[in-house]
Amino acid sequence: MNDLGLFPYPRGRLQKADLDLAAELQSLVDKEIVEKRLELKEDYERLLKPAFVRLMVEMGLQKMFWPEDLGGEGHNEPGVAFTVMAALEQIACADVGLAFLAAHSFALQAALAGNGNLKREACERFAPLFCADGAPVIVSFLLPVFTEEESGATWRGKGLQVTARAAPAGWKLHGKCVRPTCSGADADLFGAWCAVEGEGQQAFILVPGDARGLARGPEFRKTGLAASRNADIDLAGVELAAAHCVFREEQEYRRLLSWYYLGLAACGVGALLASYRILKEWGDNRVIKATGNIFKENPLTGALMGEIAKEIAVDRLLAYDLAEMLAEPDTYGDAGCEGVFTAALIVVHHVLSSADYAIHRIMELMASAGYAKEWQLERYWRDVKTVQCYLGAYELAKHDFARWFYGARTL
Amino acid sequence: MRSIDDFSRPLEYLTPLGEQVGEIIREWVEKEVIPYRRDFDEDYLEHRLILPPFRKLLGEYGIQRILFPEDLGGWGLGHSDYLSVAAFRMFEEIARADSGMAVAFGVVFWPLVLICCEPHVNRRLCEEFAPMFTGTREPVFSCMAMTEPQGGSDIENVEILKGSTIRTTAVQDGDEWVINGHKLWPTNTGGVADLMAVVCTTDPGSRDVNDIAIIFVPCHLPGVTQSSAYEKAGMAADKNGDIWFENVRVPLWYRACGPGDDARFYGEVVSLGNMGSIAFMTGVMLNVYEKVREFTSRNTYRGLPLKENDAVAGVLADFAATIEALRILGYQCARMCDRHDLYGPRWSPEVMAKARAHRYFAADRTLEAMGRVMNLMESFGADREWDVEKHWRDVKMVQLWLGGKQLSQMEVARWFYECETL
Repeated sequence: MNDLGLFPYPRGRLQKADLDLAAELQSLVDKEIVEKRLELKEDYERLLKPAFVRLMVEMGLQKMFWPEDLGGEGHNEPGVAFTVMAALEQIACADVGLAFLAAHSFALQAALAGNGNLKREACERFAPLFCADGAPVIVSFLLPVFTEEESGATWRGKGLQVTARAAPAGWKLHGKCVRPTCSGADADLFGAWCAVEGEGQQAFILVPGDARGLARGPEFRKTGLAASRNADIDLAGVELAAAHCVFREEQEYRRLLSWYYLGLAACGVGALLASYRILKEWGDNRVIKATGNIFKENPLTGALMGEIAKEIAVDRLLAYDLAEMLAEPDTYGDAGCEGVFTAALIVVHHVLSSADYAIHRIMELMASAGYAKEWQLERYWRDVKTVQCYLGAYELAKHDFARWFYGARTL
Repeated sequence: MRSIDDFSRPLEYLTPLGEQVGEIIREWVEKEVIPYRRDFDEDYLEHRLILPPFRKLLGEYGIQRILFPEDLGGWGLGHSDYLSVAAFRMFEEIARADSGMAVAFGVVFWPLVLICCEPHVNRRLCEEFAPMFTGTREPVFSCMAMTEPQGGSDIENVEILKGSTIRTTAVQDGDEWVINGHKLWPTNTGGVADLMAVVCTTDPGSRDVNDIAIIFVPCHLPGVTQSSAYEKAGMAADKNGDIWFENVRVPLWYRACGPGDDARFYGEVVSLGNMGSIAFMTGVMLNVYEKVREFTSRNTYRGLPLKENDAVAGVLADFAATIEALRILGYQCARMCDRHDLYGPRWSPEVMAKARAHRYFAADRTLEAMGRVMNLMESFGADREWDVEKHWRDVKMVQLWLGGKQLSQMEVARWFYECETL
């Protein structure tokens, strides 16, 4: 059975085009990634980068939201949330890191070109970058983090890494040792969440990767997400035109993040679906106690496999529920309202935590095959944990939940 | 400032030798291992970085001789009833730097226990192999070849399967054993080991435990072939690979303990493996404590060091509490393995089951606690520069070796609930 349909999802809410896209992506990533990765492992240049080009440029995923008159596909109505979910889970099935990068692109596209919130000037400036045939555009964000400074501008307690000063021609940006969410070594466009000097306000400013004054540090090694070659960056007086500031309102940050969280939840679901396939093969073929007992038929291991399937099924439904919320702003509110933002944060934390739990259990069932690279499971385990780390501390996300549900004011 | 030394240990269990060696090892890891460990993952095949510190610890300091009798050039720890407690301290200190190294180190001694330790010292084999370990300043590695392709960790399930699944055969031919078979995954393979203990059957398919034989095989013998090391999620210092035996001949007296006793004392290998695993985990936890303490002291949230936030402090407290509990549990497990007079022999089903229980409980708690603090560090938790992610990858393997969790659960249920068909 094709597991695209095995684990339930709101099939009726997806357009035929979404289902076709998902099927096409599954076929593409199976051929371009899954079939090659035993030989190429996590090779960025030979495996991951070419696959990213196929997905974003040749399949056109990086054009999805942008207006048609600017070269995009204009698929920007809220219902595109289902398309994003269906596409990313398929990509993540093959490689979570690639889906992670694509999630950044979709979140930015949604924030700038989403129907109802379309920012025409920003689209005119940045859509051509994404819509010109040729190279993929790697998007990265410079979000608030823990910092070693005890003062400075913060958003919900975390420090803004970049400061922006109004300059005659636009903006001048500074930041030292800034930690991007992905691809610091490669990104073509950084979305910098900046503290505006002297105003006490914030601005979201897009910084091209080749901007003068932007210096990239060496790529650092991390647990997973090989497709994201990350490096800290410095911004030393980077000067940008005023139009590079694409939004400043609190609601717009939240909208960007809500879409971003949908993408990360899809990464978790894709990793779970891939892990399911690996476990299925193991459970079908492994014999235990050397007496002909098939692994999946043992009451203990079978029960644990059942629990893992439950996690996958629930997580997938939950992630699609988030897509539904983003797809129906008239019912649930805009993606940038506090309620939807909080729900998105809850869903993504739940899905990633559950994916982490389930993959840990699969590893335990597979014992040493669980951590042998040959079986490919361990890469999903590392990738999911890395996404979870980049998402942010769960303990502090709980404060967001408490703020919304209990009206806590000082957390 | 408080440090890892402020976590509790049962002081009444400690031994001067263990403490002395522990201090030496701490100094060694600080100088020889910790500065280099971030590059170990890329060194998994060559061991260019990993071998030199081992050369110092095992060869130059001579710790590889520790189990052998003193009159054979050893330090006589095999005769001590503080063996496991001393080992726990050593393993913990090494694992604080690198649990892969701790495993590789521990497995040097693992098969030797069968011939060097009371009450089953095999004097003739000690005399045979002691010079290999005592007469050199080069590191000498052992391995315990158990797991097989067709049955995985079924080999370890002696109580139920009674060796019936073992496919590696030892056939007597005159005054020699002729060994044929295929083993997977032993620590210190991939070309590392100099001496291995091979779990064989003298009668394939037999359920008579007298037919389980543990036979020592020097790795240079004709017919022994090793693959290169597998690529794994971590634990680069612990090389694992395939070993094939094709008509490998060794003297009959290379059998460790003899018919019946090989199977019986094999339980000791299992108990000590589980005890050692807890030490690997607590060593890792101690270093993660150091790292997380540094991170949450340096980084701020709402204008204060992260650790001063109540919600964060809750997670940090849970982490410290886990170390406290697991360390006491681990030392208790070690003491149980040492004091046959109080707890029964460490090869008994009871001690094996309890050591399994201690280990899988410790592994579950360790991974849960580490996962939470890794998240707390956000992107830096996944960053190799902070070392936590490396420990997280490594310690997962400590949880999964020796047959994984389900096998442990069955063994524990069998003993505590007297299950008969599991």
